[in-house]
Amino acid sequence: MKNIIKLLFLPVLSIALFGYVFTNSIQPKLGLDLQGGISVILTADEDTEPELIEQAVEIMRTRIAAFGEVQEPEISISGENSVLVQLPGLTDQEKALEAVGTTGLLTFRPVINSSLQLGYSPALSYSENPDDPENPIVSAPAGVDELTGLSINDDPSTTSYLLSLTDGFPIIYELGPAELTGNDIDDALAVYPSNEWIVQLNFKDNSADKFTELTKDLASKIGEQRKLAIVLDEQVISAPRVAFDVSPDIGITGGTASISMGNVDQGESANNLAVILRYGALPVSFERSSIQKVSATLGENTLNLGLQAGLIGLIIVSIFLFLYYRLSGLIAILGLASFGALFYSVIALLGEWQGYTLTLAGIAGVIVSIGLTADSYIVIFEKLKDELKIGRSFNFATEKAVKEAWNTILVADFVSIIASIILYLLAVGPIRGFALTLGLATVFDLFYTRMFISTAVPFVGRITDNPRFYYPLSRKDIESV
Amino acid sequence: MFKKLFLGTTEIDFKLLGNKFYKIFIVEAIIFSAIIIASLTGILSMNLSVDFTGGTTYQLDTIYTDEDISEVLNNNILEVSRYQTFENSNNIIFRAVESSQENETQFLNYLSNKFDVITNEIEFQRVGPTFGQDITEKGIRALVIFLSLIALLISIRYEYRYAAIALIALLHDLLLTFSIYVLIGLEITPSTVIALLTILGYSLYDTVILFDKLKDSQKTFKISNLNKDVLNKTFNEVLMRSINTSLTSAIPIVSIIVIGNYLGIEGNLADFAIPLLIGIVSGTYSSIFVTVPFLSKIIKTN
Repeated sequence: MKNIIKLLFLPVLSIALFGYVFTNSIQPKLGLDLQGGISVILTADEDTEPELIEQAVEIMRTRIAAFGEVQEPEISISGENSVLVQLPGLTDQEKALEAVGTTGLLTFRPVINSSLQLGYSPALSYSENPDDPENPIVSAPAGVDELTGLSINDDPSTTSYLLSLTDGFPIIYELGPAELTGNDIDDALAVYPSNEWIVQLNFKDNSADKFTELTKDLASKIGEQRKLAIVLDEQVISAPRVAFDVSPDIGITGGTASISMGNVDQGESANNLAVILRYGALPVSFERSSIQKVSATLGENTLNLGLQAGLIGLIIVSIFLFLYYRLSGLIAILGLASFGALFYSVIALLGEWQGYTLTLAGIAGVIVSIGLTADSYIVIFEKLKDELKIGRSFNFATEKAVKEAWNTILVADFVSIIASIILYLLAVGPIRGFALTLGLATVFDLFYTRMFISTAVPFVGRITDNPRFYYPLSRKDIESV
Repeated sequence: MFKKLFLGTTEIDFKLLGNKFYKIFIVEAIIFSAIIIASLTGILSMNLSVDFTGGTTYQLDTIYTDEDISEVLNNNILEVSRYQTFENSNNIIFRAVESSQENETQFLNYLSNKFDVITNEIEFQRVGPTFGQDITEKGIRALVIFLSLIALLISIRYEYRYAAIALIALLHDLLLTFSIYVLIGLEITPSTVIALLTILGYSLYDTVILFDKLKDSQKTFKISNLNKDVLNKTFNEVLMRSINTSLTSAIPIVSIIVIGNYLGIEGNLADFAIPLLIGIVSGTYSSIFVTVPFLSKIIKTN
């Protein structure tokens, strides 16, 4: 009874897990090299504090989320001073990359005019066209696109025309030169004191006066010109108006300011604004140390290649085992099939639960493990043959072969496991994926050897003790030794 | 013959062959040293991939002529250092030395126009030389720690001389693979480095199983020292397993190479499979042809 449980445990487990994975249509999460996309390693200077890198990763995540069209972006710290950015299945890769990797410049600029007031870009002026009264002549200042009315290259030290999308509709602002930058900010926090979200902004001590001067100036104005635009790179993130109770003679003093964000629904945008104000610029600058682009077709081809190669390899190995070891070969084939199902399910579940992605190197690890697993069977079957040769009874020989082979397999697998662990701990990127699948496969192999094969061989051995059913040899051949 | 092999009753005198194997090993060692010296002094050059040298690669699937290629090689945007074409597919890879981002984008557009392929379908890769160096450095660190642990393990379970033999066999496999790479000029990529690390695992796995078998035979003969009989019995018996295991390990890898070639994919997986195949064949070879002569020497000193 105990043996039957031991024998059936792994096959049943593998079928159950496979069934679960199959019915819930959980599939292994594919790495970028298998589904296409772009992968970049961004490296900061060597002595960058880990804390700064963590902050940078957080900001990158918010930025890429704002970008929208990326499915399941993965941004993770890799190594001491590198960040691995993986953007699968992306169409506008270069833009997304810039969104993630550039340091970003945060500036505060007074609003001169906006399309909110005029209805069209304040940069464009229209004059009557004598030939075609329907289409007036458009003219734009230098450096401004005539079609969109936006500055082509933003220069924070001069007047520019920039776009804002945060209010749900596009607004074009005409902005004066930058008066303050992200460096002047000490801290920013989103708070909800009563019925309203507020972003609390603190300037650094030596920037407080600058801010007071700026708000004095703004408070003396009316309409759109009372607004101060917060600009990140070339986009206006927010343009809060200086409150009407601020006196033009005093301005906002004390180096603190509060931006009213509106009612309870505005929590998310308040937080976003606070994050941008706090870290609008990445705290560290990164260099792209590696870019890899994989087209979706190549990824798919590689995946198919891996799967086909694995399957064909498994079939040929099975035929080979059956021809050589016959009945025992059948055990091996069943064992390998169950091993395959279990392995697939675990990889799929790891992807679902732990976010493990199967990469090319991982598939290579799987293919390599087919050979190692098949070898465990071969070791046992060869041991059995040795025992039969010295004239042991069949039942005794199977028991003894299983026991002795276990020691050998244990040592050999131990070597593989040590190798996988060391590779996993010390290596980077693709090598880790390989080490993980190889290590996992080796651990499974140990379980299969101990539980499945060790009981299956003696079990099958009871069917017949004619060597012809186990080897391409007759009893006479074996006894002649 | 097959039956004898299968029964393990081939009567090869491995002790006697040990001397011959030793001579082969010496010849191999001389060739390896020569190749290492040649590659260090720059007579033979290693074909290092862009991951190690730094630069950019562009891979595209298109119909091209020889004239197209020479035109690309003589373009005045980027210095194209190498190109690679494939027999069974229309893929073509251009490799360029490091340059500015504008030039790279310009070159990408140039290729896109020239071959009428949209830019997103052009596989573009840029690597700083640090990436490959990083992988290599970490690989070597892993290697040193791994080997020390394994040497310790083998010394405890068997004896220190066995550990030395295992390391010699391992070194043999790594050097053989490396030499083939240098001689044929196959490209060395990070995948190759991973493959070399795997070869290490294979080689040790095979050697450990062999040592275990030796220990087993010693028990059967009820002796504590290795002698000629133990050696011969063990190696005659183990031949079949060695062949079988190499076959089962090699089959999936050969299928990667064959299918990959058939589909016209010569990407990372093939980069990985080729050194692995060389390593497995070498591992099987060394577990007999390299360990036997050294084991014979142990017998002499016993």
